[in-house]
Amino acid sequence: MASIASPAIDNTIDIPGRRTPLVLGNQTYASVTHMVARISEEAQPAIWWIAFAIAFPLMLMFGGLIGYLILTGVGVWGNMSPVFWGWPIVNFVFWVGIGHAGTLISAILFLFRQNWRTSINRAAEAMTIFAVICAGTFPGIHVGRAWLAFWLTPYPSLNLWMWPQFRSPLLWDVFAVGTYASVSLIFWYMGMIPDLASFRDRSKNKWRRMVYGLLCLGWSGSSRHWMRYEKAYVILSALATPLVLSVHTVVSFDFAVSQLPGWHTTIFPPYFVAGAIFSGFAMVLTLLIPVRAIYNLKDLITPRHLDNMCKIILATGSMVGLAYTTEFFMAWYSQNPYEFFTFWNRAFGPYWWAYWIMFSCNVITPQLFWFRVFRTNTVIMWVVTIFVNIGMWFERFVICCTSLSRDFLPSSWGYFSPTWVDIGMLVGSFGLFTTLFLLFCRFLPIIAISEIKWTISQHAHSEHRYKHGHEHH
Amino acid sequence: MSDHAKPKKTPKPPKAHGWMAEYADDNQLLDAARKVKDSGYTRIDAFTPFAVHGIDEAIGIKPTALPWFTLCAGFAGLTVALTMEYWMNAVDYPYIISGKPYASWPAFIPVAFELTVLFSAFTTVFAMLGLNGLPRFSSPFFSNPKFDRTTDDRFFLWIGSSDKYFNSEKVQSLLTSTGALSVEEVREDDSPSDIPKPIIFAIIAGILVTLIPGAIVLNMRNAKSGESRLHVFFDMDFQPSRHTQTSTAMFADGRVQRPPVPGTVARGELGATDPYTLGYDPSQTVSTDSATAAAKLVSFQQDGEVAGDESKGAEASETPAVEPSETEPTDAEGVAAEEVTADPGAQPAADEAAPAAAAGVPNYAWLTELPVEANGELFELGRHKFEQHCALCHGYGGYGNGLVAQRAAELAQGYWLQPANLHDQAIEEQPVGRIYYTITHGKGKMGSYAASLTPEERWAVVAYVKALQRSQNAQPSDIPTRGDIAQ
Ligand code: HEC
Repeated sequence: MASIASPAIDNTIDIPGRRTPLVLGNQTYASVTHMVARISEEAQPAIWWIAFAIAFPLMLMFGGLIGYLILTGVGVWGNMSPVFWGWPIVNFVFWVGIGHAGTLISAILFLFRQNWRTSINRAAEAMTIFAVICAGTFPGIHVGRAWLAFWLTPYPSLNLWMWPQFRSPLLWDVFAVGTYASVSLIFWYMGMIPDLASFRDRSKNKWRRMVYGLLCLGWSGSSRHWMRYEKAYVILSALATPLVLSVHTVVSFDFAVSQLPGWHTTIFPPYFVAGAIFSGFAMVLTLLIPVRAIYNLKDLITPRHLDNMCKIILATGSMVGLAYTTEFFMAWYSQNPYEFFTFWNRAFGPYWWAYWIMFSCNVITPQLFWFRVFRTNTVIMWVVTIFVNIGMWFERFVICCTSLSRDFLPSSWGYFSPTWVDIGMLVGSFGLFTTLFLLFCRFLPIIAISEIKWTISQHAHSEHRYKHGHEHH
Repeated sequence: MSDHAKPKKTPKPPKAHGWMAEYADDNQLLDAARKVKDSGYTRIDAFTPFAVHGIDEAIGIKPTALPWFTLCAGFAGLTVALTMEYWMNAVDYPYIISGKPYASWPAFIPVAFELTVLFSAFTTVFAMLGLNGLPRFSSPFFSNPKFDRTTDDRFFLWIGSSDKYFNSEKVQSLLTSTGALSVEEVREDDSPSDIPKPIIFAIIAGILVTLIPGAIVLNMRNAKSGESRLHVFFDMDFQPSRHTQTSTAMFADGRVQRPPVPGTVARGELGATDPYTLGYDPSQTVSTDSATAAAKLVSFQQDGEVAGDESKGAEASETPAVEPSETEPTDAEGVAAEEVTADPGAQPAADEAAPAAAAGVPNYAWLTELPVEANGELFELGRHKFEQHCALCHGYGGYGNGLVAQRAAELAQGYWLQPANLHDQAIEEQPVGRIYYTITHGKGKMGSYAASLTPEERWAVVAYVKALQRSQNAQPSDIPTRGDIAQ
């Protein structure tokens, strides 16, 4: 029986010559299955119900507001000339950005053989799906006549007799986000199949067994199946890696391909992707820190996992900071008065407060993670991730609203103010996101059980080799 | 769904499917698998809670063809995307947008990439499931509850009864010799493999229900109906707008055609009441009889009735600007507007028929003083603009001998009208507002300069013309003395 020795080990410290354990507390294969499966088998803790009682009505409110919007018209938003891309697009970019961490963790970290991803990839992928659902809602209702949003798809229409315009970044976006959502979903589902089979096989209840049995498609754990499954996983990772980078690149094209100062910059794609990873990891931490405490998963989601994520946040946060300063440098270096005005106006114009909220939350707060104290203290970590979430929302607000509010024609300059519907929808989208995540915790394997078991076996092998290596010396 | 949860009702034992050995560890499994394979068995498989590395060679699993599926799907996605984009945007519905060619291949890249990934990702997953024979809800392995631990913490090795060397006793003893925790016979699953009836009914009912809306739509599309269509969303089909000459309930007065909003400025009339842009003071231009008549006409058109008494109409402050004058102002004040008439053609040259009157310069309360500060900058601007726009006709000195005039004189064409000599007594005596008006509206053969000169520039030119006139007719007494300068 493979198990991890050495209790109470601090796995944020690397031991030279040995693999650092990614699972703590003498876990066995059975104990891992139990630890994850019990979450959906036992009654949910009170805090789950409290969170659900808050999130669910907010989700209903979101639905209600969408109904109100559809029946009344987009005038219920604060979108007004010249700022026609107000909060709905800010929220869209915000949520899509958050939806980057999941696939990044499951695909890119997989290709780079970062085994620590196994404890967090499932929840991060779920988070990705739910964030993309929130994201997709906004452009869907932003088109004005939401019931005609299907016009975006290339279908032979008897009413229109025309086709989508493939030279527009907005249409690229439809394809990019659509592909990303569906590929992430199937990737997530495929990853869950073996764990759903674990759920099935532990079920005492006939109906539960049947539902999970259907969901896992009759997975038997045959080695032949595993072999093709593993191959499919590698291929999907290889496909999802460029995909995840392409999505926010295309989202940034929505801005960068336009002619507006402050948007029309070549730095946007990498800058957006770094920001997306940054915000995605922050959101993963925001969710997983409470989850590991509530469900007592500290042996699976160990300090090392949190520590690694903090380092990624630090790296990507600094990249984002570099992008902010590069934009300013280019505005000055280009000697283009309009470009320079735009950036000056961002930082010192009417939206200066938004700019400095963005800058301090995104660039300054993550610098705390240079210090190990902050990377190991979950409370501080959680607070920092909240700041990062706020900062990243404001980044999108700053990009969207400051550039638009200063039109080419000074007579049309304006100032964007949200309406109560704008605020309600942002809050409501958090309700939708949280509700979906809570239901995920309630019903599905929130940690990739089979992958954790593989890590345990790998660790046992490496410990074995290590010990034998010492014997020979 | 697995079937072993259901109680077995079969009296005689089902057919054998093979033997299965249970291990606690992947290492034991690997050792056992190698041993079994070395014994010559080929119908073997392992069942594990995770992908055990090395098991492929241990039991001789051949590599999968899965990547080829992905590759083909990727090419298919790429081809579909590029063909679709080209055909839709360059063939079937070509139009130019943002100056790009119909077939803008670089702009087609993002969608081509996305569809390549989409096709290959979905194909990979479905091909994986298909090659694995999934979904499969009933299998001999599910008939033994022990086997449930394969997704938890147990590793199983199976030798199938269809193996050509299969011999029940030998296989059992071989497996036992590998140090298995237990060795058990696997039997075919002969529990009813059918899906339970309620589920079948539920699925059929579900499919039927989802078909209903589509069926209704199809039926509606093919059937003819006398009733007007249902509008869930009105889009722009129904609007409260009305045709001209009809009535509406939208406005209190029931009229469809709306009078301009108060404060509306007609095109080109910006500053229509501002002496600065006009060159005269419209409030001092007193209405005459014909002006009153015009006001009446306007009020009739607006209100549908004759305006009150004449004096009221005459005093109305918003009397429309009619062209009231043909009379040349006799003096520099030029406010002698009492006798003006509205129509230039109605009373030609009633008074001393000055040339200006003949060309229809109205008689307004001309501004006599520059409405802007006369400083060096203004004169400099005026000189610049005069030399740019006026000197070619009027000459740099203003004597009407510019290059155009000289050339015209050479050609000696009868219809050429000599540009005015700006130092003529009559022109010299003109108030500044009058010159401004000439620049703004032109006069006779001279065109309007309103389009080329802003009001400020026009006033600058006026100031310069005045200075020019003064300079050409200066008296020795005009030269400032030392004392003046000292002041
Ligand atoms: C194309 C040649 C031409 C140009 C250029 C031109 N004028 Fe004239 N201007 C004329 C002619 C011809 C007349 C005589 C018109 C008439 O009396 O019918 C005239 C008349 C005048 C008069 C006398 C009007 C009166 O009341 O008798 C003034 C003042 C004058 N111009 C000023 C200017 C100024 C200032 C400019 C430059 C902005 C200018 N003109 C440019 C051809 C020109």
